[in-house]
Amino acid sequence: MLINILNGLVYGGLLYILAVGLVLIFGLRRVVNFAHGSLFMVGGYVAFAVAAVSNFWLALVAAIVVLAVLGVILDRFVFRPLQHEDPIATVLVTFGLLLVLEDVVKTIWGKDFLSLAAPPLLAGTVSIAGETFPVYRLMVIAVAVLVALGLSLWLRFSRIGLYVRASSVDPVTTGMQGVDTDRVSAAVVAIGAGLAGLSGTIAAPLMALSPSMGSFILIDSFIVVVVGGLGSFTGAFIAALVIGQVHNFGIVYIPWAASMIPFLLMVAVLIWRPTGLAGGRA
Amino acid sequence: MTDIAAAPSRSRNVGFPAVLAVLGAAGCALPFLVQSPLLLTLMTQATINAVLATGVGFLLRQNGTVSFGHAAFFGLAAYATALLIKFGLPAELAIVLAVVLPTLLALLLGVVIVRITGVAFSMLTLAVAQAFHELFLKWRELANGDDGMAIAFPAKVFGLDIAIFQQPASMFLVCWLALVGVILGLWLLARSRFGTLTLAIRENEERARYIGYRTVLPRAIIYAISAAVCALGGLLFALYNGFVSPGTLHWSLSGEALIMAIIGGPRLIWGPALGGVIFFFIKNAAGDFTDHWPAVIGITLILVTVLLPRGVGGLLVWLGRRAGGGRGE
Repeated sequence: MLINILNGLVYGGLLYILAVGLVLIFGLRRVVNFAHGSLFMVGGYVAFAVAAVSNFWLALVAAIVVLAVLGVILDRFVFRPLQHEDPIATVLVTFGLLLVLEDVVKTIWGKDFLSLAAPPLLAGTVSIAGETFPVYRLMVIAVAVLVALGLSLWLRFSRIGLYVRASSVDPVTTGMQGVDTDRVSAAVVAIGAGLAGLSGTIAAPLMALSPSMGSFILIDSFIVVVVGGLGSFTGAFIAALVIGQVHNFGIVYIPWAASMIPFLLMVAVLIWRPTGLAGGRA
Repeated sequence: MTDIAAAPSRSRNVGFPAVLAVLGAAGCALPFLVQSPLLLTLMTQATINAVLATGVGFLLRQNGTVSFGHAAFFGLAAYATALLIKFGLPAELAIVLAVVLPTLLALLLGVVIVRITGVAFSMLTLAVAQAFHELFLKWRELANGDDGMAIAFPAKVFGLDIAIFQQPASMFLVCWLALVGVILGLWLLARSRFGTLTLAIRENEERARYIGYRTVLPRAIIYAISAAVCALGGLLFALYNGFVSPGTLHWSLSGEALIMAIIGGPRLIWGPALGGVIFFFIKNAAGDFTDHWPAVIGITLILVTVLLPRGVGGLLVWLGRRAGGGRGE
């Protein structure tokens, strides 16, 4: 039972890291990046390529850096030019990017499943309540907690965090106060994409790498973001915890209907609170 | 604000049924002119795709929301046909229910999810499609999972030989007439009081509410109607192929339908159908030359969204207006 809860925390942690990137980008740009799952997937593959010539830890850093750079490019050439258009345009363009990125990865690394080994340092297992549990999975939970902690401190105490919070309440007024929202946005999208790279890398030893690995988790992270209340960090955190648990519970006890549970939960939450748990701006 | 799904002008619509009738009749002549069975097969598949795209496009036009999940209704209709016949219902009843059940489901679901607007709505629709895809993929006892299931049609359906629905030449006629009928029906609906009300809600929901209209139900009804059109497409698919697999529910099919609608121009009722036909023939041509089909459509989608937000249909209307000095079709 405890093991199941821990496994739920692992998936919830991955979802949180991915979803919080979506929330950050939404706060600044008022758009949702449909290519976010692809960034997760690209992160996993970059890590795979770097790990092949060095080690896991360098691969992790490389994936975050490469994805952060990709994020800056994405902001400069997609989100910024389209910021005065209908958000639907950005959705469609990022959806197009999703198709392109998957195809690029398929061309470079092929369609077959690849695997990235967990670092030797974390390869063992520990005994929890009489059952064994991989140390690596505990590390994933720890990373998610650190990300949550780091982000909330950053948002609360740093100057740029202040700008981010201000922009997510009202980008226009924030701009009028002299904040360069384009620069803040480039930083924020870089962080969001970098987190997707982080999530993709630490997920890689847990699941097989494939060009379509991003789409499944993208959909779950969308559920997290909407259930949490679009644009809410706290909401995303709570929703990721809950969805991680029910997802894992479903897979263990009713595998044939596992995908329906997060979905039905989402419908139930939306009947109860149409703007999500945090009840923010939907 | 909504460039992609901007309000239509009313004057342009005069004479639309006449043009549609001419096109409908012209299409009916095609099976007699085209001899190649391969081309006829492609035309039939393209027309089924066009029905699907029309459903997705209608939602975008009337509600201003983008669905990434309408393959769910397409696939559910196909699965409903297969399963209801398997459970022993008469094929005629199964066929009717195959459209009715997904439509009712969409109405129920619509009441919940149309309250979410904009980008969040698109995210939810993706989750809808994925949930059903996974259900049919994993619940092997029900529907054979990834292997899909053959549909045990009887020899005659509605007094017609089942072969009529499975041979390209005759099935093209059925699909073509269905497409023309759907477009005409949606055109009439869009012009009706209800149609203009939903456009008003799309433009400004708050204002529509302040002048005393309920706004959730009309949006949910539009959602259900667009689902019904996609379900009809799924039914045609099931009749034609006699087989259904989880691929019919996958979000990538929803994505393709959306891309068809965008290429064709969703501000026009007939735009998505045009997009569906264009898409299908590009896909077939590109498939012969490149393995990078997803990248080709991805780039096409980006270019059309950025450079041609009103789609090929919008371009045709513009060219027609220029050539005809005002009136165009």
